[in-house]
This record gives sequence, structure tokens and C-alpha cells, in this order.
Amino acid sequence: MITGKKHTLTGLQLLIYVSCSFGFYLFPGQVNSGGLNHLIPTDDAFDCYACHKVATPKIAQNWYESKHGVMLMKCFVCHGQPDGKGSIPWTVSPDPKAVCQKCHDPAMKRMEAKFGINPDCVKCHPFHQNSLHHDAYKKTQSKSQ
Amino acid sequence: MKLTRRDILKTAAASSAIMALNGSLPMLQDAAAAEPDKWVKAVCRFCGTGCGVMIGVKGGKVVTVKGDPNNHNKGFLCLKGALMPPIVYAKERVTKPYIRKNGQLQAATWDEAMDLVVSKFKTALKEHGPTSIAYYGSGQALTEETYLASKIWKAGFSSNNVEGNPRLCMASAVGGYVTSFGKDEPSGSYEDIDAATCFFIIGSNMSECHPILFKRVAARKQADPNVKVIVVDPRKTNTARIADEHVSFKPGTDLAILNAMAYVIIQEELDNPRFYGKYVNFMTNDKKKVDFKAYQKFLKDYTPEKAEKISGVPAEQIRRIAKMFASASGTVSFWTMGLNQRIRGVWANNLVTNLHLLTGQIGKPGATNFSLTGQPNACGGVRDTGGLCHLLPAGRLIKKASHRAQLEKQWGLKPGTIAPKPGLHTIALWNAFSEAKIKAMFVLCTNPAHSLPNVNMYTEGMSRKDNFMVLSEPFMDAETVKYCDVLLPPAFWCEKRGVYGCSERRYSLLMKAVEPMGECKSDVDILLDFARRMGVDPKVIPFKTVDDIWDEWREVSSVTPYNFKGMTRARQEKESGIRWPCPTEDHPGTKIRYVRGEDPNIPKDYKNKYWYYGYPDGKAKLWMRPYAPAAEEPDADYPMVLTTGRVIDHWHTGTMTMKVPELKRSFPKAYVEVNEDDAKELGIKNGDNVELETRRDKMVFQAKVSDVCRPGLVFVPWYDANLMINKLTLNAFDKGSKQPEYKICAVRIKKA
Ligand code: SF4
Repeated sequence: MITGKKHTLTGLQLLIYVSCSFGFYLFPGQVNSGGLNHLIPTDDAFDCYACHKVATPKIAQNWYESKHGVMLMKCFVCHGQPDGKGSIPWTVSPDPKAVCQKCHDPAMKRMEAKFGINPDCVKCHPFHQNSLHHDAYKKTQSKSQ
Repeated sequence: MKLTRRDILKTAAASSAIMALNGSLPMLQDAAAAEPDKWVKAVCRFCGTGCGVMIGVKGGKVVTVKGDPNNHNKGFLCLKGALMPPIVYAKERVTKPYIRKNGQLQAATWDEAMDLVVSKFKTALKEHGPTSIAYYGSGQALTEETYLASKIWKAGFSSNNVEGNPRLCMASAVGGYVTSFGKDEPSGSYEDIDAATCFFIIGSNMSECHPILFKRVAARKQADPNVKVIVVDPRKTNTARIADEHVSFKPGTDLAILNAMAYVIIQEELDNPRFYGKYVNFMTNDKKKVDFKAYQKFLKDYTPEKAEKISGVPAEQIRRIAKMFASASGTVSFWTMGLNQRIRGVWANNLVTNLHLLTGQIGKPGATNFSLTGQPNACGGVRDTGGLCHLLPAGRLIKKASHRAQLEKQWGLKPGTIAPKPGLHTIALWNAFSEAKIKAMFVLCTNPAHSLPNVNMYTEGMSRKDNFMVLSEPFMDAETVKYCDVLLPPAFWCEKRGVYGCSERRYSLLMKAVEPMGECKSDVDILLDFARRMGVDPKVIPFKTVDDIWDEWREVSSVTPYNFKGMTRARQEKESGIRWPCPTEDHPGTKIRYVRGEDPNIPKDYKNKYWYYGYPDGKAKLWMRPYAPAAEEPDADYPMVLTTGRVIDHWHTGTMTMKVPELKRSFPKAYVEVNEDDAKELGIKNGDNVELETRRDKMVFQAKVSDVCRPGLVFVPWYDANLMINKLTLNAFDKGSKQPEYKICAVRIKKA
């Protein structure tokens, strides 16, 4: 569940990706994860989307409308958590072997058989933008989600 | 203050606490990145969707999981399924037995712990008889564990006090299926999703509670935009994101809506007389057989306009959804706790089924009435093997002498060994334990001190000195650990072998992936040891291994329509789940029950296409269930409705998901969801502390203000052990199913 659009960020100590350039995050395939920085997170700052729809609105919106967004496959499932103490490594570019494989192993195997090993799924599959191609899912969504 | 992107960037830039993350990662992550030595086939530990998982093991440790491509989930997992490994190695794992001495749990040997348990059970049996002891199990225990416990009690001790948490989540669905078809369990399967053109989702937030099934529904809609999705829920949940019609109604009034849909279907001549004329009996609420005309007369009280007055749903919307339901080429309905956890739970189940019987939207691909189960093995473990106080294995009933006799013969018991009177259902059982009428209770794989409704009442009872509770629980911080007298360390999920059976009658084998931690033992071994020490006749409990128990279950089921005979261990090791009935080793399993050519219980040359063999005349029952209010409706003192449920990140009482750093962080504590209009009126802002008070207790939560809840309704998730909403919920229960009404109680709220 995602907190409301009207969610005021008062009191939250903010949680946000900051990289050398925001640009790289908009083109995730072009930069690898070295030097990924983030504000120190606090216990309150649990909702990645709440901050990122303000900080990186395009990415946040792309995710929200993507299959991963409809399915509530949240940021941390692939990117880990900012304090680096989670079970998934904290990174901009998730390691397909460690992360994507959990659900997409059959597809990865198919791709490998067809094209050989490509360690970077993201080059061809913009996972944030993989949206549902018609407006069926937009009609009744909560105003404040 | 509302922050803009610029503010955030400024804050970020100014932060002195920028973290560079190229340094060393925790051990878990190193392990996660490593390529496993082997992949072991199992099933997800969480919800009743029952996704197949492959457990990645390296150096004898679980390092990762991925979806099983050969199971129904086709390799996919939802977010919590994908994040299971840290749970296994949580620091809170119980790895040795404990005995409570002077109020404190102190480490003990297995012998000391079991000797104490056995002496307490023996004393209770000797002094107060078989009705003074009880087993309280779980829809998360393996099929073999529940079958074994149930047999130890019912055959070994002649005690029918065998219950479990499925009473709290699935009993009304059982009641619904049994009253409508004479037999429990859904007749369709998940494959119906791929053929349906209309989904009727009522009282279920599939997207958060059964995510992989929701994914399948969403994919179906994406493939064909003409597919219609109707979501009937007083909350605008994430499930409603894909809905064509979101029907928001006054909580508890869905019975009127369902009857009104039937009214519209008949009025619009979208009913299917050829189907119901041949295969359906119309029944009044007091069990009299009547004709279709009587049903039409009954429905006169439920015109869409009358239903609008009761439910707040516009009559026009009721007409629209009724037409969608009936005119689609195939309609699948899904429901869960929204219908089941109600004092009219069985009725609500019947009313959904009525729509299918009236329209013939049943028994063909893409048309079925499908109750979704909450737990991974409530169907497969408890409902099918008879792990409740009124049931015997494979759909047989304790109160039926012929069923008892049949089972006594199968089990090689002296006639009359199985007591003829059903035991105490969950609420009655815990009431009796609280009054120390139950002297000794064996609790396995469940957390009642958190999950029972109006839970203060029961934790008080659990604190008494004159009753005894032994608990098999993998996590030290589970609430019930505070109250047990003996704590046993069970092997967890991947550390043992056995079967889970999910919502679609699919049974899959979980293979043992790693050795149990510390002194942990599988619950099968714990129960076998218990039976041996209690002196249960070894002819009654002859099992050496978990596989022996499975083989007996196959045999015992084979004389019933459940029939697992063909589901051998060898097949289970190879295949990723098989659906019963499966009478022979070459039978592929059953997609659709009650249909000639699909259901192996029906002869190939049977005269009719459908046969509802749960009833002697082969017909299903359409029940005329009236609308009746909830047990505790809002009033002047408590003007709002409190409902409870889940978030996708957490499962049940959070004892597992709270061990995954990402999941814990995502929802660290429970909150109250308040409608924005109500919040305005009450002066509540997002993030404010809000006090919720019911007639039972009060508690403070942080508010999330949104339009998810309809006005007049507040929602609190129930996973948080520090903010247990079950202190506020109601323990009134359905007279038929004995399932409590968690979903509705009256509450007042104010800014704290
Ligand atoms: S949908 Fe349920 S069974 Fe499947 S991965 Fe998620 S929690 Fe596990």
C-alpha cells in the first residue's frame, strides 16, 4: 500500500537517492552503481515512493504505472534499503542473478539460450517503464494513492 | 510543511551523512549473491496462493529463493515470497526447549520438557477425561502434521478437541461450500482465471493478500481489455486499481447487494433455467425445499432500490454489475476474509454461490466460485484432513455414525473409539481454556495470543496457573511465547519435509533443504514422540517417517471423493503440485470438479453433464439468505466501523515478515487508515496520533489519511505485536461456522 498523494512530509527525516547526477537515474542503463549515495534513513522514512514521487517524480510515476507498480513490487525488492543493512544489496542496478532471477528465471534462461549471456537485463527491459499498455488500470485508482 | 523536490535535494546535499555503499555488505547479502550449490523444490511459507519456490542452498545454508517455473506461479513470486531467506536465520529462532519456572522460560533438555508435557496431559486425562485436553493447530502446519495430531487426539485419546486457526479464517467458506454442494473446497482452479471474461472480487484485497493470483487476473485483463473486473469492497484497495467497477458499500450490507444482483439477473432474463432447473434445489433459510417462484418472491425485498437504501450502493451500479456478472462468457468470483470473518459468513458465501447457480456460471473453464484461502495449508492441511473439532479426514463428519464407523474400520480401531460428540470450536475452546476447563493444550505453529479476537480476554486466561500450554513455535518473540508453560523448538519450513495444499486443491511437496537449527525437531517428530510417551497404542500411531503418514492419508482418502491415492511421494518429488481428486498414479489431477469428463468421481457415461454428488439427489442448493446486520453496528457512542486486514509486506502476526529487514522497514508499525472527509471533520491530519476505542479496549495509532476507506470506516492492519488491534476486535461468531466477526465492530476515534 502506498501512502497518500497528500502525504505531507513533515516530520519525516527524508530518505532519498542522491547520485553524482540525477540524470543517471533517469537512464539507469548508462551508469553502474558505484558511488550510490543516499541520505541517512531513519525509522520513519519507510516509504520510498512517498519521497521519490517528489524527488524523482518521473521514476516514481513510471514505477507506479508499471507492472511492478500494479503488483506492489516495491523499490526495496530490487534495490535493497538505503542503510545497506537489508537482505538485498543496496544498489541502483540490481544484479540480475541475485534479484531478477527470483521471478524471471525462466525468461532469463530463454534469453540466454537465444542471445547468449547478457548480464544487464535493464539495457533492453526498462523495468520501471514496463507499463500496462492501456488505461484499464487507471479508471478507479484511489485519488490519494 | 510540505516538501518540494527542491527542498529534498537541498536537504540531501546538505546532509553530512551521505553513505557510500561500496563497502562490505552483511553476510546475508554475500550469500545472496553467491550461486547456490543446489535448488530444492518447496512452496512459499506465506499465503494460500501456494506459489512453488526453489530454495537456493549453499554450504548447507539457505541463501536465496526463486519461483518454481513448473508450479502454477510459473516462476513468479510476490515481494514477501521473494524475501524469505533471512527469516530462517533470524536471531529470534527458538533452538532448544524451554520450561517456565518462576515466571521465566528456562532452557531445558528435550526429555525434561517432554516429561513435563506428558505428565500434565496424563494428569488431565486421568482426572478430567478426554474433553479436558486439546490440540490447537494451524493452516501453516504440514498436512502430515495435522493429520497426525488429529489422529492422536481422535483415535488415541478419544478426544475431539482438535481445532486450529483455520476456524478463524476459512470456516465460513467451508460452511458455504458444504451447505451449497454437500462437500467442501472450490470446484474450479487457478486456470479458470485465464479463460474468464469477468471477475467478481468481493471481500478480498487480492492484490495484497494473494498477489500472484492478482497478477494473473491483471495479466488476463491486460491481454483482453474487454475483460471486466468488479471489486466490491468498502475500501478502495490496490485491487481496485484494475477494477472497471469499484463498489463501495456500508460494511456488512453486502448480503443485500448480492440478493439484489440475483433480482436484477432474473428481471433481465440473464438467468439460466436450463442449468438450475436440472441441477439446483431452492432452499429457504429454515431448510425447506421450495420452487423458483418462492425464490422470486423472496427477492422482492431486494430490488436494487431497496438494496441501495441498505447498502448505499447506487441502484444503477447494482444493475450494471449484475449484468456484467451474468452476461460474461465466463465469470470467476473470488472472496476471502471480507465474507468469511462475519457472523453471516456462511450466508454471504451462499449468496455468492447463488449467483453462479442462477446463471450457470460454474463448472466450465473461466466460470467458477472460488474462495481464496489465507494460509498456505488451511485447505490442504486442516480442511481436507479433518483437523477441526467436528471433522474427520476427507470430508467426513464426527456427528455421522456411518462416517465414524467407516474411519474406525480404516484406522483399525475398536468400534466406538471415536467420541460421537464434536469437540469445542476455537472460541469455545479458548473460553474453556480461560476458565481452566481445558487443563492441557498443545498449540502448534500458530500465535493465538495475537490472532484471537478480543484477545485480552484470552491472554488473561492463558496467564492462569491452573491450566497448561505447550507451544511449538519457531520464534522467541511470538506473542504466545509469553504465555506458554513449555516452549518446543520446531524445525522451520525449509528444514523439514511434507506437503502444503493451496486454495486450488493443489498439493505440493516441500522437500527438506537444510538441516534443522540447534536442537530443533520437525513437528511430526515432536508429535510422534509425544504420542509414544503418552502411551498411545503403536498400532494406532505406527508411523516412522513423515512419508508413512502421507501414505496412510492417501489410503484413508481413497474411499471418499477426495481421493489422493494416485498422489504418490515419487510423483510429488517429480511434479510441482497435483490437484485432487487424483485416484490413480497415471491420473493428471482434476481441474474442475462435479463435471463429467473432468471429475474422476463421475463415470464417463454418467447421464448428466453435472453431478453434485455431495447431495444424494445430485443437486446443489441455492439458499435464500436474508440480509441481517452485523453483531455490533455503529451507534451514537461508537459511531464508526473498525475493520482489520493485511498489508502486502506482512503476513499474519508478523513473526516471520518482521525478520526481513526490508519488510520490517516498509511497514514498521500498524497505523489507522482514516477517510479524508472524516479526518477533516475530526481535525485529524496525516501522521497525527489517533485514539481508537471499542467496547473492549483502546489504543493509539498514527493516522494515514486517504480516500481508501469510505467515510465512517477505519482500517488497521493486524500484524503488529506492539499494536495488537485484536485487543479491540469482537469475538462474536457465525452460528454455523463458528468463525468470528473480525471484519466489523463499532469504534470511536479522536485525535490523541
Ligand atoms: S503470492 Fe502468496 S504464496 Fe505466492 S509468493 Fe506471495 S506470499 Fe508466497
